[in-house]
Amino acid sequence: MSFAGTYCVIMDPECSKLLPALCAVLADPRQPVADDTCLEKLLDWFKTVTEAGSSVLLLQENPCLVELLFQVLKPQDLSSGVLSFSLRLAGILAAQENCFQYLQQGELLRGLFGESGPLGRAAWTAPTVRSGWIQGLRSLAQHPSALHFLVGCGALGTIFSLQGDPSLFVASAAGQLLAHVLALCMRGQAEEHPGPQASDWPTCAQQIVDHVEESLRSADSPQVTQALNVLSTTFGHCHSPWTQALWVRLSPLVACLLEKDPVPAAHSLVDLLLSAARSPVLSADCGLWETLAQTLSHLSCTQAGPLALGVLKLQACPQTLRAQAFGVLLQPLACVLEAAAQAPGLPGLPAGTTGDSVVVDTLLSSKSACVGLLCQTLAHVELLQPMPQRPSPWPQAPLLGAAVAVLRFCNGSAAPTSDVGGRLCVILVGCVRVQRAALDFLGTLAQGLGPQELVTQVLAVLLEYLKSPDSSPTVLKKAFQAALRWLRSSPKPSGCCDMDPHSQQFLRELLPVLQKRLCSPCWEVRDSGLEFLTQLTRRWGGQAGFRHTLLASEVPELAEQLLRDPESYVRASAVNAMGQLSSQGLRATSASPEYPGGQQKSLLLDLLHILSADSEGFPRRAVMQVFTEWLRDGHAEVAEDPEQFVARVLQVASQDLDWEVRAQGLELALVFLAQTLGQPASYCPCTMAPPEVAPPGRLAQALQALCRVRLFEFAFRALFDCDRPVAQKSCDLLLFLRARAAPCGNPQDAGSSPNVASAEAALQRWRAGQQGQPQEDLEPEAVMAVLRSVDLEGLRGALAESSDHVEKSPRSLLQDMLATVGTLVENEADCY
Amino acid sequence: MGEGEGLAAPQPALPAGAGQDVGRSCILVSIAGKNVMLDCGMHMGFNDDRRFPDFSYITRNGRLTDFLDCVIISHFHLDHCGALPYFSEMVGYDGPIYMTHPTQAICPILLEDYRKVAVDKKGEANFFTSQMIKDCMKKVVAVHLHQTVQVDDELEIKAYYAGHVLGAAMFQIRVGAESVVYTGDYNMTPDRHLGAAWIDKCRPNLLITESTYATTIRDSKRCRERDFLKKVHETVERGGKVLIPVFALGRAQELCILLETFWERMNLKAPIYFSTGLTEKANHYYKLFITWTNQKIRKTFVQRNMFEFKHIKAFDRAFADNPGPMVVFATPGMLHAGQSLQIFRKWAGNEKNMVIMPGYCVQGTVGHKILSGQRKLEMEGRQLLEVKMQVEYMSFSAHADAKGIMQLVRQAEPESVLLVHGEAKKMEFLKQKIEQEFRVTCYMPANGETVTLPTSPCIPVGISLGLLKREMVQGLLPDAKKPRLLHGTLIMKDSNFRLVSSEQALKELGLAEHQLRFTCRVHLHDTRKEQETAMRVYSHLKSVLKDHCVQHLPDGSVTVESILIQAAAHSEDPGTKVLLVSWTYQDEELGSYLTALLKKGVPQAPSGGS
Repeated sequence: MSFAGTYCVIMDPECSKLLPALCAVLADPRQPVADDTCLEKLLDWFKTVTEAGSSVLLLQENPCLVELLFQVLKPQDLSSGVLSFSLRLAGILAAQENCFQYLQQGELLRGLFGESGPLGRAAWTAPTVRSGWIQGLRSLAQHPSALHFLVGCGALGTIFSLQGDPSLFVASAAGQLLAHVLALCMRGQAEEHPGPQASDWPTCAQQIVDHVEESLRSADSPQVTQALNVLSTTFGHCHSPWTQALWVRLSPLVACLLEKDPVPAAHSLVDLLLSAARSPVLSADCGLWETLAQTLSHLSCTQAGPLALGVLKLQACPQTLRAQAFGVLLQPLACVLEAAAQAPGLPGLPAGTTGDSVVVDTLLSSKSACVGLLCQTLAHVELLQPMPQRPSPWPQAPLLGAAVAVLRFCNGSAAPTSDVGGRLCVILVGCVRVQRAALDFLGTLAQGLGPQELVTQVLAVLLEYLKSPDSSPTVLKKAFQAALRWLRSSPKPSGCCDMDPHSQQFLRELLPVLQKRLCSPCWEVRDSGLEFLTQLTRRWGGQAGFRHTLLASEVPELAEQLLRDPESYVRASAVNAMGQLSSQGLRATSASPEYPGGQQKSLLLDLLHILSADSEGFPRRAVMQVFTEWLRDGHAEVAEDPEQFVARVLQVASQDLDWEVRAQGLELALVFLAQTLGQPASYCPCTMAPPEVAPPGRLAQALQALCRVRLFEFAFRALFDCDRPVAQKSCDLLLFLRARAAPCGNPQDAGSSPNVASAEAALQRWRAGQQGQPQEDLEPEAVMAVLRSVDLEGLRGALAESSDHVEKSPRSLLQDMLATVGTLVENEADCY
Repeated sequence: MGEGEGLAAPQPALPAGAGQDVGRSCILVSIAGKNVMLDCGMHMGFNDDRRFPDFSYITRNGRLTDFLDCVIISHFHLDHCGALPYFSEMVGYDGPIYMTHPTQAICPILLEDYRKVAVDKKGEANFFTSQMIKDCMKKVVAVHLHQTVQVDDELEIKAYYAGHVLGAAMFQIRVGAESVVYTGDYNMTPDRHLGAAWIDKCRPNLLITESTYATTIRDSKRCRERDFLKKVHETVERGGKVLIPVFALGRAQELCILLETFWERMNLKAPIYFSTGLTEKANHYYKLFITWTNQKIRKTFVQRNMFEFKHIKAFDRAFADNPGPMVVFATPGMLHAGQSLQIFRKWAGNEKNMVIMPGYCVQGTVGHKILSGQRKLEMEGRQLLEVKMQVEYMSFSAHADAKGIMQLVRQAEPESVLLVHGEAKKMEFLKQKIEQEFRVTCYMPANGETVTLPTSPCIPVGISLGLLKREMVQGLLPDAKKPRLLHGTLIMKDSNFRLVSSEQALKELGLAEHQLRFTCRVHLHDTRKEQETAMRVYSHLKSVLKDHCVQHLPDGSVTVESILIQAAAHSEDPGTKVLLVSWTYQDEELGSYLTALLKKGVPQAPSGGS
C-alpha cells in the first residue's frame, strides 16, 4: 500500500505527536491491539517514510520508537502480533547502514534477533513471530555490517532450520532470505570470478553453500527441495559471474539427483534447471544443456512436461535439445493420434515423436493420471502456439488431428480399432475437464490454418459439441468461443468480402443449434449463446450470406424475447445482442425482404423501458452502452430526432440508482456534445489538449441544443454526485465544454439576469446534495456564467484522490489505533 | 495415498495476518490424492493485493486448474467468496466451483456490490470487473442439500444445512472411505428467518469447524433484537432519524423482518426506507429459496410472505432531507463510500438521530472510526464533522457458540477436529475442551501451516475363485461377521488388488519358485562312525517327536518333515561329529526346536553301549 500525497512521505508533526502514545500502547501487554491489519499498514507507512529520508533522523525525532524496541527486549507477555511488528520495524529501520550502527550501539538488534530475543522465548512457537523475525532480517540485510551481524549472532543456523518450518510462509521466506544473503555476500566478488573452491568464498557464503550442498546430498526429499528452491531463487534473481562458479560447483550434485529413482523433488529440480537456463551468465555452459537433456529423459512424462515447455520458451538453446523437448511435450498427443488410428506414421509430427509405451502406460494407468497428463499437455502446447520462438515447422495438422481425436474420445463419437484407443475411449468419455482443455486448445489452433479436410473435421466436431445434450454449460461456452475463432480465421474468398463456402455451410448448420441453445433452461447457456450471437453479428453483420442465413432463422426473434428473461445477466446480453442486430438492420421482421414495409415495435422504446423499469443494473447499463453506440454510429431510430433521444435517455439515466448507469449517461452526453460542437466523438477530454474554440454563431446554436436536451442539468447534478466516478466524468465533460465555448457570452452581461440566479440557486442545492429542478429552463448564457464561476480545476484535483484518502492517511490510522484501545474486542469476531 | 490425507494451510495468505482476525477463509484439503479448495475469501481490511489470498503457495508449478479438483464455497459472505472472480478470471482457475443454489444466486450480487464500492472509491487497482463476475458464476455448479454430487469418479461432495445466512452449507468431501467435513460458518440455534445447522452422524476422518465464538456462550439473540427495537423505537419517538448501514443482502433482510413485524405490532407510522433498490431482488431470492428459511417463515408463507414488506419502501436521495423521523437501511455497510456515507454526513450533526452498525467495520472506514468512539471526524478538504448523533453497535452475526460447536462435534462424531476462523487464545481453550470430552485430536493451525493426519483407509481386495474354493474345502464359508485369516499372495495390477494362491501368482507373473532353506551346524561329542551317530539321532528323535514323521533314509540322513539332518566327521577333532541341520522357512519353528534339542546332546543309544 502506498500513501498518496507528499505530506505522508515525511513524518508530519501531527503523526509525530500521536506516535509516543501509540508506542506506549503497543509496549503494554495489557492493551490488546485489535486488528493485525493496522500493524501491517503501520509498517507500510514506516517503509514509505524510511525510503524517503534518513531513518536515524526519524529515530532521533521520535525516540519513542527506540523505546518501543527496548520494551520488546524485556521478557514480558507481549502479543505475538506486536512482537512480529517490532522485529519487522527494526529491520526496516536498520536497512540504512548508519541507522543499523545507531541501533547496534545499544545492542538492540542482537537483543531482538539473537538467542536472547524472541527466538529463545515461548513466543517463538507463534508463526507470526518467526515470520516477523525472517522479514525483519530480510529488510535489514542490505549492507556489509548486516552480514557481519548475521554471521556473528548465529542467525544463519536459525534460517537454515526455518526452511523446514511448518508454516509455508515462514519456510518460503527463509529460503528467499538465504538466496538474498548469498547474493549480498558475493556482491563485491562480481568482478573477481571466484573459483569453485570453497576457500575462495566469503565465510558467510561458504556456510550457505555448504548447507545447500549438504541438503542436496540428503536422502530426505523436503530438504532437497529446500536446497533446490534456494538455488532457483539465486539463479533467477542474480546474474553475476559468481553464479557460474556456483553452478560449476553444484551441478554434479544436481546431476546425482537424476540417478535416484524416483527423482526427488522433481518440480523444484525443473524450476532450478529452467532458472539456470534462463540466466545469461550460464547459458554458455554446455554442462547445463546436457543436464537438461538428461533430466528430460529421466523424469516421468507428467513431470517432464513443464520442463519441456520451459526449454522451448528459452530464447537461445541448442537445436537438439529443443527437438528433444518438443518430442517430450508432444508424446501424449502422439499416443492419442496413434490410438485413434487416424493416420499411420503420424505425418507432420517432428521425427522421433511417437507414442512412447511409457506414456501410453501412464495414460492408461488410471483416469486421473490420463486426465491430468492430457490437460497438462493441451495447456502447454496451447501456451506455446502463439509464441514467436515456437518450434518451426509447427505441426499444425497433426495437432489439429490430435485435438479432434481427443474431443471425439471425450464425446464417445470415436470408433478406434486399436486396443489402446478403446481403453482411452472408456477413460475419457464424458470427461468435462479434458473437453474444456481440448476446446481451448482447438480455439488457439485457429490462429494457424490447416488442410481443408481437417478444418471440416474441426467444424464438425464443434457442431457435435454444440448440438450434444450432454455438453455442460462450461463446455458449451468454450465450444462457442472456439467456433467463433475458427470462423474468424476462415479465409476470405478472393474478390469477395463474404464468408467462404465452408464457413457459410457451418453457419447454416450452427444457427438452428444456436436457436435451440437460446431456449436452454440454463441461464449460462442462454447467455453464452447471446454473447456468441453479438460477436457474430459485429463481425459479419454486413455480409450478405450471413444476413440471409440469420434472417432465415428464428434467432433474432428469440434474442428479442430474451430481453424479458428472468435472469438479469441474460437480459443484459440480450440488450447487447439486439443493439448489435438492430444497428446492422437485422431485427426479425422489418429488415426481412418478405416484409419490406413491415411495422414492428420500436426497439428503442423497448430499451428505454428496460432502462427505466428493470430492477437490476446489468440490463440498464447494457442499454446505456447500446444507446451510446447508437448515437455515435447514427442508428436510424436515433437519427430521426437525436435531441429528443438524448433528452429522454438523460432524463431516465439521471434518476438511476446505479452510479454506473449515470456515468454511462455522461459518456452519452459527451458523444452528443462532440457531435453538436462538431468534434470527433472519440475525443477524450482528459488526455488531449483542449479543442479549438468553435465559431460563435454555431456555438450559440449548439449550446441551445444542449440546453434543450437538459444536458447541463444532468451534468451539474452529476458534478456533485456522491459516487466519485460520476462526479469526475462530469467534471471532465464540463471542463471540455468550458474550453470549447470560452468566448460565448460575457459574465458581466449575464451575471445579473434572473436566469443566472436561478441556475446558481439550483447549483447550490445540488452541491448540498439536495434534489429539485431550477425554477425555469436554463439559458445558455446563464449556464456559461455558472460554468465560469465553478472552480472545476480545483474540483478535478479533489476528485482525483480516492474517496477514502482521509481515512486511509497515516494520521487517521494512528488515531484509529489509539481510539480502539480499551474498546471491546467482541466486535472483531463478528465478521460480515 | 494410502496412509493418510494431508491438510494444507488454512488460508494460504500472507503471514502477517494471523488469520484470527476477520480474514479471508481459504483452506486447501488433500484427501486421497484429490485437492479441494474450501472457500475463497477476501480480506476487506486491505486495498491492495493483500486483500486476496496468495494463491502462489498452493502449487509451485502454476497450473491451478490441473492441481485442484474443485473449489467449494460455503456461503455468500465476502470473507468466504470475495476472491472467487479474482481466482477464476485473473489467476486463471478454470475448474468447477460448487455452492448451493441460494449462494449461487446471491453471491454475484454481493460481489457486484463490493466491486461497485471498490471502483467507486477509486485508487483500487487489480480488481475484477462485472464481466469477470459473470464468467466466474458460469463456472459454478449448484448443489442441493443432502444431494451427493460426484465431482469425478472418486471424489464426491454433499451439502448440509448450516443456518448462518440464507444458503449457507457445510460440506462433506469423500474419496473412497476417507472423508472430511468443512462447516464454513454455521449456527446451531435457529434465528428469526433461518433454522439451525444439522449434520448426520457421518463420522468423518476430520471435521474442520469455524470457531468464531470459541469461548463464548452467547446471550439469546432475542435480547439483542429487543435491544435493537427499543433503540430504534426511542429514536423515532423523539423525532430522530435512524441510519442502519448494511450490505445489500443477508443481515439487511433479517433486520427488515424484525422492523416490519414490530411496526405492524406497534402500529407505527414513521417511514422505513431501503436504499439502492435492492429490496426487490433480495426479496425475490428469499421467496425463491423459502425452503432454506426456518419453519415459522415457511408455515406462514401461505398467509403472509415475510419478505413482502408493507412498511418498507424504496429510498430516494431526496428523502434524506425530509423533516421528521424515519429509518433508512443504506449500503455500504461500513460507511466507507456511497449512499450510507452521504446520509451519515447529513444526519451526524443532530443528537436526536442515531446510527446503528449491525456488523463489524474494518480500519480505514468511517464506520470503524465512530465505533471506536471518535466523534470529530476529518472529512475531505480538511473539514471537520462533529458526530453528535448516537452511535450504536449491535452484533447480529449468527455463528455457533462454544456450546454449539461442541454439539456439532457430538453430532458428526469425527475422528479428529481442526479449528479455523477464530482467535488463537480462544481456540486453545476450545481445543482442550474438545480433546477432553471427545477424546479426539484437535488441531488449530495458523495461517500457512500444514496439518497432516494419518487415516486407516479400507482397501477392497478381490479374492481368486481358486483360493476361495480351497478355503471352503476347509469347511468355512465366507462370512462378513466373522473375519478370519486367509493366506495368499496379494497382487496389485491396474490399480486393483487381488488375493490369489501363491501357485497362481507364480503362474500369472511368470515367475519360477525358489526355496529358501536355513542350515545350522550342531557339534556332538561322539567317537563312533557317522552312520552310527545318525542312527543315534534318529532313535532319539523318534522317541521325542512322537507326532512327527521321523525317517532314516538309505543314504544315512534323517528327516523330520522337511528337515534334513546329516552327520559328518569333524575335520580336526575325530572325537566330534558335526550334525548338519537344514529346513525350509515353512518349517522354521520345528527347525529351530530341533536344533535347540540337538544342541542339548543326544542320549546313548540303547543298543550301542560300551
